[in-house]
Amino acid sequence: MIRRLAPLGLVVFGLAYLWQALSIPLDPWSATEAVNARTLPTVYAVVLLLLAAALLARPGAVNAPATQMTGGRRWLTLAAHCAAIVCFGLLIPLFGLWVGIAALLGACLVIAGERRILVLAIAPLAIAGAAWFLLRVVLDIYVAPGRYLP
Amino acid sequence: MFEGIATGLATALDPANLAWVGVGCIAGTLIGMMPGLGPITAIALMIPVSYSLDPAAGLIMMAGVYYGAVFGGSTSSILINAPGVASTVATSFDGYPMARRGQAGRALALAAFASFAGGTFGAVALLAFANALAVLATNVGSPEYALVLLFALSAIAAFGERGQVLRSLAAAVLGLMLGAVGTDQSAGVQRFTFGSLELADGVSFVLVAMATFALAEAFRMVLEGGGETPERGIAHPRLHPGDAKAIAPTVGRSSVLGFLVGVLPGAGATLASFFAYQLEQRFKCGDDADRARGVAAPEAANNAACTGSFVPLLTLGIPGSGTTAVLLGVMLSYGVQPGPQLLQSQPAMFWGVIVSMYVGNLVLLALNLPLIPYIARIVYLRRSVLVPLVIAFSLLGVYFTSLNTFDIHLMLGFALAGLALRLAGFPLAPLLLGFILSGMLEDNLRRTLLLADGDFALLLERPASVALALACVAVWLAPAVRFLRQRRRRGAAS
Repeated sequence: MIRRLAPLGLVVFGLAYLWQALSIPLDPWSATEAVNARTLPTVYAVVLLLLAAALLARPGAVNAPATQMTGGRRWLTLAAHCAAIVCFGLLIPLFGLWVGIAALLGACLVIAGERRILVLAIAPLAIAGAAWFLLRVVLDIYVAPGRYLP
Repeated sequence: MFEGIATGLATALDPANLAWVGVGCIAGTLIGMMPGLGPITAIALMIPVSYSLDPAAGLIMMAGVYYGAVFGGSTSSILINAPGVASTVATSFDGYPMARRGQAGRALALAAFASFAGGTFGAVALLAFANALAVLATNVGSPEYALVLLFALSAIAAFGERGQVLRSLAAAVLGLMLGAVGTDQSAGVQRFTFGSLELADGVSFVLVAMATFALAEAFRMVLEGGGETPERGIAHPRLHPGDAKAIAPTVGRSSVLGFLVGVLPGAGATLASFFAYQLEQRFKCGDDADRARGVAAPEAANNAACTGSFVPLLTLGIPGSGTTAVLLGVMLSYGVQPGPQLLQSQPAMFWGVIVSMYVGNLVLLALNLPLIPYIARIVYLRRSVLVPLVIAFSLLGVYFTSLNTFDIHLMLGFALAGLALRLAGFPLAPLLLGFILSGMLEDNLRRTLLLADGDFALLLERPASVALALACVAVWLAPAVRFLRQRRRRGAAS
């Protein structure tokens, strides 16, 4: 199913890209150039549309092994991982990177099915601590603190 | 020249300098293994350390950092499919599947030996042909570059797997499109940024690589569930008996190719590794050694190219890559002006740096081989631990390159798009190659047309350009010829 939809997705993306490419503002000088800011993006969009059309015309010409499609529960697990990543992005400005990365690791471990208490307790703190030590202490890379925690 | 080599050997084998090469190799490997931190970052991070050394020792250490970081990048490519630098992307194509099949140790050993061989060839070639190659490199202009890049992209189609040509091309075009995001360098206008300041500088390579390879791979593992965990018993830390024989011609070809590509300013290790990998697809035998050759080719090529990129730096003072640009900065901060006069004014440093490249390779091999069984253990982690670790490391890598949470959400979007493309049977390597080459292609094409006042004929004015154009046409026609030949064969059989 996704293989049949993909070329259609490419057509939609190609059309949107083409529309955006043709909307790139040009000054009078660059408008007369053989290759300006619009040229290659326009060419890329047209080529993608042609390729997508060819893929629509010959959808069966694929013999690469498809990744096994899985049940609804695994899609839910994937969605939960995505939600954890979104939360990680939101946590950094509030509590800083180190708390964020420990929370992300903890959440992802639980979502991935890890149930060993020791791993759940130690891994996030150890990884966050090691990353902090290496980057902040050894390499002296500055990382902005969070709003509520250093 | 022999006097120079003797001077170089004396400088490089000085115990203090030898120790600094070791320090550089270890630091480079550790930094390079972290997704998102490549050779440029590694060298930049080691600059404060180098300031405490004399110029020769500092530059010798930096050569070790450079090689170490390239090897470290290969390690993360092979073990967790997270190529932190563009030059190790091609290594992951066959290295990661080997690691998933329980051959992580073998893949790492192949990478180590091929890197060593490529680096050794590069060092010898640099010693022998440095001056002659520098003159040759200056004669390669924008038209040739534009055509070389076009050739690299076209080769994707020709050398793509059966039934994958259209999808490979579409992925490459998607990469080119993605590479056009950001501020246009010539006109200064913003393209596809939707008014977002975060996109004004374009999308970073690390973000695209991490999203399409590491994060998308982690998501694929989530969807696959428990599947394919490597067997412990077959993690050989050494090469298989026939490996050395099988990869010897590959390493030879790739080293020569890598060195020549590396000499061209701006081309560098990335193009070299892709070219070498694509070239090796022509020599597939359909046996187990194919994967070994697939790992050895880009590794030999990128290390040879790393050495090759020192040719324009040392002999002309022109940095051939981002990494050598940082090294140029280090040299200038020491008061050393690389260029034609360097050989006359500071022969000990000139030859010392060249010889220490070889010594660095040797030290790297000696240090890394014993560690391979320990490093390879990462692939035996349970999926429930490996997936969160890959997610966390890839996000950390991306966050460190920009310190911007916008990139984390953008990366998630790209990873989901990458996953969808993967599920639809699209190979993602061409996308990454298209993305990397997009800016270079546009710059060189524009420069060519600016010089020619808009006349495309300049692209075909010189013999080298004509040869490259013909090579492109041959590559475009290759899939059609292959298709017609198969059809004829099928017709004859029926």
